[in-house]
Amino acid sequence: MTEPRDLLELAEVSKVYGDLRALDEVSLSVPRGQWLSIVGPSGSGKTTLMNIVGAMDRASSGSVLLDGVELSGMSPKELAQIRRDTVGLIFQKFHLIGHLTALENVMVAQYYHSMPDEPEALAALDRVGLRERAAHLPSQLSGGEQQRVCIARALINYPALILADEPTGNLDAANEQIVLDIFRTLHSEGATLIVVTHDPDVAAEGQREVALDHGRMVREVFHVHP
Amino acid sequence: MANDVGARAGTVARRARRAMFWRMVARSVTRRRSRVLIAVLAVGIGATTLFALASIAIDIPRQMTREMRAYGANLLVMPQDGDSAVPVAALAGIDHLLEAAEVVGRAPYRYETLRLNQAPYLTAGTDLGAVRKVSPYWYVEGDWPGGPGEVLIGQDIAEWADLGAGDQIELVAGALGGPAASADAGLGGQAGSDGGDQPQDVIEEEATGLFAVAGVLTTGGTEDELILMALGDLENLAGGAGEYDVVEYSVAADSAQIEELAGRISAQVQGVAAAPVKRLTESDDYVLSMLRSLLALIAVIVLVLTMIGVSTTMMAVVAERQGEIALRKALGANVREVEREFLSEGLALGAVGGILGTGLGYLLAQVISLNVFHRSVGMTWWLAVVSVAVSTLVAWVAALVPVRRAAEVDPATVLRGE
Ligand SMILES: Nc1ncnc2c1ncn2[C@@H]1O[C@H](COP(=O)(O)OP(=O)(O)OP(=O)(O)O)[C@@H](O)[C@H]1O
Ligand SMILES: [Mg+2]
Repeated sequence: MTEPRDLLELAEVSKVYGDLRALDEVSLSVPRGQWLSIVGPSGSGKTTLMNIVGAMDRASSGSVLLDGVELSGMSPKELAQIRRDTVGLIFQKFHLIGHLTALENVMVAQYYHSMPDEPEALAALDRVGLRERAAHLPSQLSGGEQQRVCIARALINYPALILADEPTGNLDAANEQIVLDIFRTLHSEGATLIVVTHDPDVAAEGQREVALDHGRMVREVFHVHP
Repeated sequence: MANDVGARAGTVARRARRAMFWRMVARSVTRRRSRVLIAVLAVGIGATTLFALASIAIDIPRQMTREMRAYGANLLVMPQDGDSAVPVAALAGIDHLLEAAEVVGRAPYRYETLRLNQAPYLTAGTDLGAVRKVSPYWYVEGDWPGGPGEVLIGQDIAEWADLGAGDQIELVAGALGGPAASADAGLGGQAGSDGGDQPQDVIEEEATGLFAVAGVLTTGGTEDELILMALGDLENLAGGAGEYDVVEYSVAADSAQIEELAGRISAQVQGVAAAPVKRLTESDDYVLSMLRSLLALIAVIVLVLTMIGVSTTMMAVVAERQGEIALRKALGANVREVEREFLSEGLALGAVGGILGTGLGYLLAQVISLNVFHRSVGMTWWLAVVSVAVSTLVAWVAALVPVRRAAEVDPATVLRGE
């Protein structure tokens, strides 16, 4: 454990659905603190990759090392443990629980992780600028606000890895900027981010951009930020 | 030291998790009202029906048995063979013998055949207040007679003569062919012995009285073919006083004691014969147990239907929340935790449905009981507890299969969207 290991190491990871190779021998290493963008046409395997990296799905073959732990061959229960301890998830469609308030939605993640802590959840909402809307139901929030609640929920347990699949796909330009600002702050604090996006501007925010096509890595670009 | 701190932190965490668990269950139940309403309705309707049926099946027979034990004549005193009436003097002797026993009520009866629209009907003159007291389960459509000039007519007579409460009737006594009248008069012919005793009265003047029908009496027994009036009214119309054909006693004692009392009265009191009357007959017992088995059968059918209804509802409720379940799993919930949450919701819905259904079931039992059995039904508290418990259990069992299935959902579906 002396040499600093990459947070995520994929080695020849494939995911096969029948005849379809949704992921085809992908090898990829993500160091701690990196902001990685993943781009590619629809159906190229981006979400499939996120599911495997996020311990929500198992690879058909290959090795997935997350924070030094091999995920392939784990039981569903062990995978659930990895999800609650290591991963923060941000979705294109927010996926908030409709009958719970913003605050309660954040507390649900605490509940599965360790224990609900209302002041801490409030602080997380404060970070995304939603302290005033803590008691609102998702239906009473705008799309941008819902996405910020989703981000607060993803951050609440200090996950080693934050995964975002099209986080700005359903947002207007103003809300996109708010979300990107939050990501910038997280990145500056040392968080590891993997962001799937169709938007070249959003992709360019990352330090590194990987393109997938037909399940293969086809291109890799490094962005230098001033 | 460190261990101690760790243990305390563990307790705090457990408490916080438990609080959040119930907070989520409560929110789901209170904020998803229309869905919850359907599930609660499914349980509630079952609970309503079952509690109403069970209340009736348990309480009505219990009431009837109690009343039949407590009330109703169980000792008849009649004139001894050959005598025309129970001598008034004998009553004091009987009272003396009954002193030790608890006499609930006593009703003297005199029977005469009166004519209504030319047709003869057996008429009983009695103490209506006493009869009402010992026969609270008699069903009177209209009112009990409130004073002189008012009568009760049996259900069969009401039908034959096309009469109802509030009608005026003209009753005629005497001046009928004596022998026919005596043969006709019921209860072993004692009533008719008027004619046999006083043959010269056969050609007596007719007496006519105008009466108001206060109510129509239905007992399912011989009273349905009887006109009942106050003893004083009958004596005014038919003449004579203090001549009782039968005196009914209601004594709080078991059948062996009654048997013994009857023997003592017959032996020791001049001019009378006493006989015990069985109250709750075996056929009544049989009818009650048949009623119970019938209701039990219906209850089982309703239970099965409720089960099907509730599990169908639960299936829909859970299917609708498949996305939420996948999300919870993506956040790190495992199958067991998801099952526990959704089954607890099922329990909560079952309890709410059970409590509401039991309350409504009591009202339903009351309505049925008042309309069908003409009595009110009491609240059986242990049954209410059982009803709520069974509803909760039914909801839990009904939720089991759909929740088990839903909890297996693949968390990867969340990112795939809907
Ligand atoms: N459960 C599944 N069964 C069969 N095929 C699947 C399944 N999930 C995904 N696929 C297929 O795998 C391929 C990759 O899908 P994936 O969702 O990873 O694409 P994506 O890059 O995220 O596309 P998009 O940009 O549209 O979200 C697609 O062809 C898809 O149809
Ligand atoms: Mg996708």
